[in-house]
Amino acid sequence: MIVLDGVSFRYGEDGPDVLRGVDLRLREGEYVALAGHNGCGKSTLLKHLNALLVPTEGTVTVDGLDTRDSSLQRGIRRAVGMVFQNPDHQIVGMTVEEDVAFGPGNLALPPREVRECVREALARVGLEGYESRAPHTLSGGEKRLVSIAGVLAMKPRFIALDEPTAYLDPVSRRRVLDLIVGLHRQGMGILHVTHSIGNIVDADRLVVMERGSIALDDRPEAACAALASGRFPGLEAPPVATLMAELKSLGWGVNPNVLSIREACREIDACLARRPGERP
Amino acid sequence: MKPFRFGLFVPGESPLHRLDPRVKILSVVVLGVLTFQASAEAAILITLLLAGLTGLSRLRPRHLLDALRPLMVFAALLFLIHLFFTDGEAPVSLSAGPFRITREGLRQGGIVVWQFFALVSMGVLLTMTTGPSDLVAALEKILSPLKILRVPTQDLAVMVSLALRFLPTFLEEMEKLKTARLARGADWRRGGAVHRVKTAASLVVPLLLGAARRADDLAEAMEARGYARGPRTGLRELRMAGSDYAALAFVAGFSGLVLVSGLL
Repeated sequence: MIVLDGVSFRYGEDGPDVLRGVDLRLREGEYVALAGHNGCGKSTLLKHLNALLVPTEGTVTVDGLDTRDSSLQRGIRRAVGMVFQNPDHQIVGMTVEEDVAFGPGNLALPPREVRECVREALARVGLEGYESRAPHTLSGGEKRLVSIAGVLAMKPRFIALDEPTAYLDPVSRRRVLDLIVGLHRQGMGILHVTHSIGNIVDADRLVVMERGSIALDDRPEAACAALASGRFPGLEAPPVATLMAELKSLGWGVNPNVLSIREACREIDACLARRPGERP
Repeated sequence: MKPFRFGLFVPGESPLHRLDPRVKILSVVVLGVLTFQASAEAAILITLLLAGLTGLSRLRPRHLLDALRPLMVFAALLFLIHLFFTDGEAPVSLSAGPFRITREGLRQGGIVVWQFFALVSMGVLLTMTTGPSDLVAALEKILSPLKILRVPTQDLAVMVSLALRFLPTFLEEMEKLKTARLARGADWRRGGAVHRVKTAASLVVPLLLGAARRADDLAEAMEARGYARGPRTGLRELRMAGSDYAALAFVAGFSGLVLVSGLL
């Protein structure tokens, strides 16, 4: 389990607090989505999970290992994989397989095991046959999958993703989201930073950050209903949540805590069944 | 954008492709030194060897020509400099102003151009038949004795590998910047040399800023994936096979032959 306990952080001694007393738990196999405005501290928080940053105050532990202890950082980085926003700034290998081999190579695994890790990771992201491709010849979505494969090759138990669907076309976005959901189903703990709340309907929790603090931590349906009610101006709830909140405010007896279109249809249908005269 | 092709690796299964990269690098160094010492007979031997190696590499002649073509202008310049600025006996009464063509100039120009193309061909054969990562791994192994002197050979090899990895990205970025400027009315093709140099220089600052930003992000991403001082491994382990030892023996024998031909 990853535990953030009263974490505050500032860049430099006199800088402003970017994180302020953050308490957060990420359990094994849990899928947590993290949303918030630009500059609210999401990426800074993410970098605390695998000891790229250590708290100015408070503690971060990964399976009880304190991230401030530099002798434990290799183990922590193996347990928590990190996927950054821009894959172009993350891919280090001259070919896909070399890039994916970078992490296992840093763990000094024997070459045979490194090759096995690479093969497995590429299969998990569906990039078999891409081994010899140069990174600059890949599409944006493929680069994103390579950067995820590079992390998976280290066989982490948690994976932190910073806006993994940013700048992707709808098909690539769906592919990446399906992969994340698949990893979650296979038991991997996930922290998914996103601006598009509609992307995280499969998450177990939605955490909203404001000015370096956690302002909301709830099930996605309830959290989206809170967003749809306008509690966090500027953060857009998924259209379904907004529609249900609107219907509720108009006096319809619907449950606003739904995120899928199918569930919303069912709610509206049930409501209309209770008011047969109003059925269109 | 026209792809950057000079000496890029061409995957293949030729005997030259299969050779241990350390043997190839070592051979290039030895043959390179011989090229500078070569007599006329030795030059013929080296040229024949290069032709043989090209055949053995199973590379298409087009690939090699593509690699050599951009250097033709430079070779021509080298030839002309030697042709006009070497003292000696004039074979023809051709002199214009300070320039004077001499027999020695012709010979020297020819030798320098041959040396230049021989060296480039060796380098191109090496890089076209050796994957960049194998090249870097071999470099790391060759430099590894320097670890005793606390030279960070592993870091040096990673630096070389990153430079090779980001070269196409850098060129792509330059192309994007040029297109963006073109879209806002800048014209690269017009104006004199000074204007062109000035416009090209205006790309340097944004390119360097972009590279610096990328370097910061990259360092962070590498750290996140466990990069640190200490033992590292990779996809392959370099192991010398019988054919590698045979190749080394051949290079040694050939070097002896070249040296002897120079003495005779």
